[in-house]
Formats: sequence, C-alpha cells, structure tokens
Amino acid sequence: MKILSKNGNELLLLAMKEDSATKGDYMLIEDRNRSMIVQVYDEEYLSSQALIEDIVKEEVVNASSVENLHDPLNIGSLSRLVRDARIFRAKIRASVNDGKLSSDVTWLPSRVESKIRRLAMKELNSFLGRRGIFPIPLGRAGEGEEFEIYAEDLDGRLTVITGKKESGKSHLSKMLVKTLVQHGAFVIIFDLNNEYGGLGWNRDGTPSVIHHQVKVLEPGKTLRFSLNYCGKGAVSGMLKNALDMPAASMREFFRIWDWLENKQSLSIDAIGNAVNTWNINELVRDALVSRYHVIQSSRLFADGGFRFEDVISAGSGGAAMVINMGEASSTVRRMVVELVLSKLVDLLERKVIPPIFLFAEEAHLYIRDTYWEDIITRMRHFGIYTTFITNQPDAIGDAIYRQVDNIFLFNFTNDGDLDKISKVSLADNDTIRSIVRTLPQRHCLAIGKAVCDLPVVIRVAAAEVLTLGETKKFFKK
Amino acid sequence: MLSNMATQLNPPFHASLNLGDLGIVESVSKCLAPKLDELRGKKIVFSCDDKKMIPFDGWGMRSNPYTATIVTTIRPIKENALVAAIDSSSVKLAETEEGSLYGIKCGIATAYAGRALMHFRIGPVLFYLSESTIQYSELEERLARLVLLDDDFAKRLVRVRAERAVQKELASHFTNSIILVDGSLKASVFEDRERSISKIAESCVLRRNMMIGISKGTKFKVLDRAATPLTKVPGPAYIEVDMIIKSLIRNTVGSNSMVKLEKSSPVLRADILGDRSESLGMLLGNDPVAGGYPETLRLAHYISMFSSTEMTCLRSHVLNSYDVTELAADDIRKTLLGSISV
Repeated sequence: MKILSKNGNELLLLAMKEDSATKGDYMLIEDRNRSMIVQVYDEEYLSSQALIEDIVKEEVVNASSVENLHDPLNIGSLSRLVRDARIFRAKIRASVNDGKLSSDVTWLPSRVESKIRRLAMKELNSFLGRRGIFPIPLGRAGEGEEFEIYAEDLDGRLTVITGKKESGKSHLSKMLVKTLVQHGAFVIIFDLNNEYGGLGWNRDGTPSVIHHQVKVLEPGKTLRFSLNYCGKGAVSGMLKNALDMPAASMREFFRIWDWLENKQSLSIDAIGNAVNTWNINELVRDALVSRYHVIQSSRLFADGGFRFEDVISAGSGGAAMVINMGEASSTVRRMVVELVLSKLVDLLERKVIPPIFLFAEEAHLYIRDTYWEDIITRMRHFGIYTTFITNQPDAIGDAIYRQVDNIFLFNFTNDGDLDKISKVSLADNDTIRSIVRTLPQRHCLAIGKAVCDLPVVIRVAAAEVLTLGETKKFFKK
Repeated sequence: MLSNMATQLNPPFHASLNLGDLGIVESVSKCLAPKLDELRGKKIVFSCDDKKMIPFDGWGMRSNPYTATIVTTIRPIKENALVAAIDSSSVKLAETEEGSLYGIKCGIATAYAGRALMHFRIGPVLFYLSESTIQYSELEERLARLVLLDDDFAKRLVRVRAERAVQKELASHFTNSIILVDGSLKASVFEDRERSISKIAESCVLRRNMMIGISKGTKFKVLDRAATPLTKVPGPAYIEVDMIIKSLIRNTVGSNSMVKLEKSSPVLRADILGDRSESLGMLLGNDPVAGGYPETLRLAHYISMFSSTEMTCLRSHVLNSYDVTELAADDIRKTLLGSISV
C-alpha cells in the first residue's frame, strides 16, 4: 500500500489486489520515528479515463469474438493488476510520536518511505490507553479481534443506540444490560416489545447467569404502586403530563389528596368517593372523574405494591427491572414512565438507591418532549444514566445529540436518517455516510467516549440469551 | 583600434527596429510564389491536425480527369471462406545511450460466413535496437544507420517485420482464404528476404489464397479524384486504378483499385492479389462490413493498439526484469517552450 495523495484530513491510499482492508479498519503509516493513525472509510477502484476506455474496449472486443492471447512478457497479468488496483479513502485520526498518541497531524508522511500496515485493535487500545475494571465484551473488531468497552464508559453517560429495523440494536442493548447487571449495576428497561424478559434465559432454555436478577414488571399486574409510595409529586406529575389534567382540576385534586392524607385514608377508592362527593364545579368534577376512571382502569395503584428499593436491596449483585409496555395502551405507558421516573428521582435525591442505568426503547413514544432535556441534564445529576434505543434518529432532538457521550450506529440506508445522524454525530460526515450505509446486520459503528473518540466498527457477538419479542407471523416457515 | 573595439562590442541599436528596414518582409514574400489568385473558384476542404480529410461527396466530376473510368459493382459471393485481417502497432518505449527499445503488438481477427470467428492478440513484444543488435536485422548498413537515427524508421522496421512474419505464416497455412492487410501491398525496404511481400504473394497464389491490402487514406490526391464516380454509385463498387498507381510507384503486388464497400461509405484504395471481383465479392460475403470498412480489419486494429495501461505495465516490466536504472527525464519541448500547449 502506498500513499497517493492528501486532501484536508483525508489520505488516499493505493492498494493492490492482495492488500486488504475493510471499511472502519485502522492503518498505521510509519515514517521513521513518527506514525500516523488513519481509518479507512471508503474503498473504490483506481480509475482513470484511459483505464475505463481500456476495460470497455476489451469487453466490446471479447464480446464480438473469441480471444486467443500470446503474451510472452505476461504484460496482461500486470495490466489486470492495474485494473484491480483500489483506492482506500482514509481519515487521519491521530499521530504517534515516540510511542505516544498525539493529535498533532500537521505533518505529512513520506509517500516513498512510509510503510503502511493494518493496526491491530490491541495496538490501538495500547496507544489510546483504554482500560477499565468492568469490561463489556461486545464482539469482534478489526481482524476478528475480541473487542470490549468498559462499564465505566456508560457510567454517568448518555448513550444512543440507533439503526434501522432489525439491524441489531436491541441485541446490543440486551448485551449491555446483561453485562451491566453481571457487574452489579441496577438497570431499568422500558421494554416496548416485551423482549427483555428473555434476559433471564439462555437460548437453549436453561436459566441465564442473571436469571435471578431479572425482574419482569407488567403494568397493572406485577407493577402496581401504592399511592403513599408514589407520593403527591409523582401522581400529580402523572396527572399533569400523562393525563393532561388542567391546572384548576389539579388544585382540587391536591385538596382532596391532602384531606385524605390527613385522614390517613389515602387510596384509589377513597379518591373516587371524594371526587364524587366533593363540593366543586361540575366541569372540574368531570375532569377529575374522567382521570380517575383512567387511573382505575390502568390498575397501576394498589395497596402494598412494588418498591424499587426492595428489589435493589434484595439484589445486591445487580438487577434488571424490565417494564413490559408492549401490551399497555399509550396512555398507560406514559403514566408508567411518569411514575417510574418521578419515583426514581425521589429515591435518588434521598440517596435511598444507588445510581441506575435506564434503557429506553423508542422513548419518543412515551416520553413527552419537555422531559427529554430533563432526562439528559437533571436526572443525570441525580444518577439516572440513560441509553436511548431508536430506529428513528430524527425522533431525538439535536439538544440531546449534543449531550450524547456514546453512539452505537447500526445500518441506515435512508438518506434522511444518514443526514440527521451525520449532522449530529460525534464523527465526521464522510465516515458516517460511507461506513453506516454498508454495515451488515449486527455490525455497528461505535463512536464516542467508549472508544476514546476513535470510531470503531464492531461485529456484535451472537446473543446468548433468549430472543423474545419477535413479530408474530401468519405464515410459518 | 580602441574605438573600433568599442564599436564592435556595442553595435548601433535603435529602439524602433523596423522589419521593413531589415528587408525580412520582402525576402519572405519572395521565397516562394504565393499564387493565391489560383485559389479562386476552387472547391476546398480544410485540413485538421494533419489528418486526411475527404469531401463527403467526392471532389465532383468537373475536376476529375478520369471520368471515362469504368465502375464495376461488387456482388457479395455467398461462398464460405475464412477472412483473416492483420494489423499491428509499434511504440518507442525507452531510450538508452546506445539505442532504443520498441514494443510491437499484432492483432489478427478472423471471420467466416459473415460472422466474427475469433481473434488473436500477439504481444506486446519488445525489441531493443542498437548498433550491436541491428546487425542481426540483415538491413543494408546505411539503412541500419538510418533506423538507429530516426525513431519513425525504427518503428516502421519493427512493424513491417512483425506484420510480414504473421502474413507469411497465414499465407502458408490457410487455403482458399482471404488475407486482409492494413495498407497497400507494397514491398518495403525493411522487409526480411524470406518474408517479403513477394514471397507472401507467392505463398498465397500456391495455396489459392486471396490477399487484399486496404488503405484508409492515400497520399496520392489523384486517386481521390479518380474515385469520384464511385460516390455516385448506390452500392459496393470499384474502379481500377492500376495505371495511376503503377505510374507513381514501383514494387506493388497485385492489382490496384479504389473501392467502396457500402452505400455512402468512404472510397478506399485496395491492392488485390487475385481476381478483383471474386476477391471483393468473397470479402463482402464473409466479412461483416460496417461504415464501409471490414469488421475484421477494424477489430485487428483495435486489438493491436497499445493502451496507456499496457505502456505503464511495459515500463514496470522493463524496470523489474532487465536490471536497468531509470533516469529522471524531462520533455525538452515543454522545457524550452513552456507548459502552455501551442
């Protein structure tokens, strides 16, 4: 391989047939005591007008009659080599001076003297100084080398996993959840497809290593809260944001709540009775009654009920709380999310529970717009570290992308999606557009802190846990 | 004496030098009689990059001194025969202090029963011509020296030798076939005695082959004028021009004609070894003709051309195989005249 030219932060590398590199591979250009780290982001043929004319001419000639060749100098094979020559487009990522990584890429390596070789992930990691205590093996990168990130890279960070449908997003997020739990972390998952329940089981049907640490919560069944546990704040937040209760009605509701609380008879039934008998404007009563019926039919409230701190104190080795929302109506989903997030903030504020990781699938379907900012700014300080999983990159606002620490990008072929991602992503436009467009299934481009800001293409390892949430089909294979 | 020296060192110089005073204008205008009035009323075709340009409908009957020439129409003969067309090209690849390195490519394209059959690519093959190597060419000494001095002669030598070698083998192996040659059937000073055009013609006659040499252009303007009646003929036809050719050049083989192989196609010079009507009829019956030119000859031309990729590969082959050292070089014209192409 040889350097052909440089344009901005891009190098063109000339490669012959036997020189192999794939999109995303890192190359080391060694020039005396300095080296440059570049990343291949695109591959094309070495093309010139003359070469194209030659190829076309030969094809036309060979199509018109059968060829018989006498080539004593074997020039034809050399000619074929030239026709097969390729150009690798590579982005300059860093340089290595005296064995130390540097961002000084203002020098040009020699076109004649430089030696170009593929950089092993192990070497890249040693240059980057990537190390941690809690590894999360993700799969393979580069030339089939094991690749892992560290749980510390997700701790206190905002992460986005995005890609088109069936590209492998949920697969990666399950892998992250499983390993985080194994490392003792507490994870809450808003599961829209009821698929994370499989984390407790291996594919062969045997219990997984985190079998006892997975708690599947069904809203209205295993996920029910007592009104006392939720508190007035969480319930009023739910009424306001999920059930759009007007301010005047809210005031009456607070009065009813305070009155029942003072009487120590706070319950759903007691609220229902009070709403019916309370001396209020009929319109306000109507508003309260309609909300009361929604709450009652959601069956989210009961005496006793679920307590996060119980699960957390019981599972000292980490736990995954999977909130199945696949069968819940959109109103109930919003109610659940409001209640859960409010309660978590309350618990974290009071330091009752340790920081938790939140995995939210297609969060735009159940989190109100104004809440996004809250999640990525305020809740982060309380200790809720969110990972958004979505197949609609434009559903997440630019403000959130600007706060993102890690992005795991799966395949996108749609230009609109690629435009969105390349505009807001942490890597350059060319890399995103070229690599992401051609990523096979279960391959992702990791960008951000987890990979020390050097984009890495990862072949995500096969799932060990049971895959649930598959689309129910009429025609069976 | 000192005053004389000063005058010689500082010749008289006037800021307003005049071409008229120097007599250059007059001298140039008299160096050859321009005779531009002779142009009046003439038909004209402008030249372009030294290429041969021909008028679409010929020069017209008025200027034709051979209006009485008989035009013979050609009827395709549907009798299957093999057509083999040969073409070659040569290039100068490199130069050493003692000589030059040339490359040659030959193409043979065949057709049968009106269909392309197969083609053969021969080469590239390299030849190094220097004082020590040229002696093996059996060229006369003065000619050999000329070849070493002039690249065009050298390229011609290489091409003629290679083409004749191929033609000789085809003529000696095929029977009842048509051998198509690019250019006239004329003996060349560069031929090798054993593979001369006359020997090839002899082989053709012995094996009942026909040989047709088709020239894309002729430097004899008189032939273009002679061919004018052909432009008026709707189909394939020919005119015999033996008298004109034989009066202008010696050492040609076969009969000489101007032919048109298709309706509204250019008129070409064809030297034919064998019966004219039969040879041309057999050619039309067995070789597809497109744009007034035989397809086999066109294909032979394409496959014998050097591509820029091949040139690059040949350079690489020479550097890798013959232990040579490449010296940095520059285009002398570019250096002297500047980079603006003029």
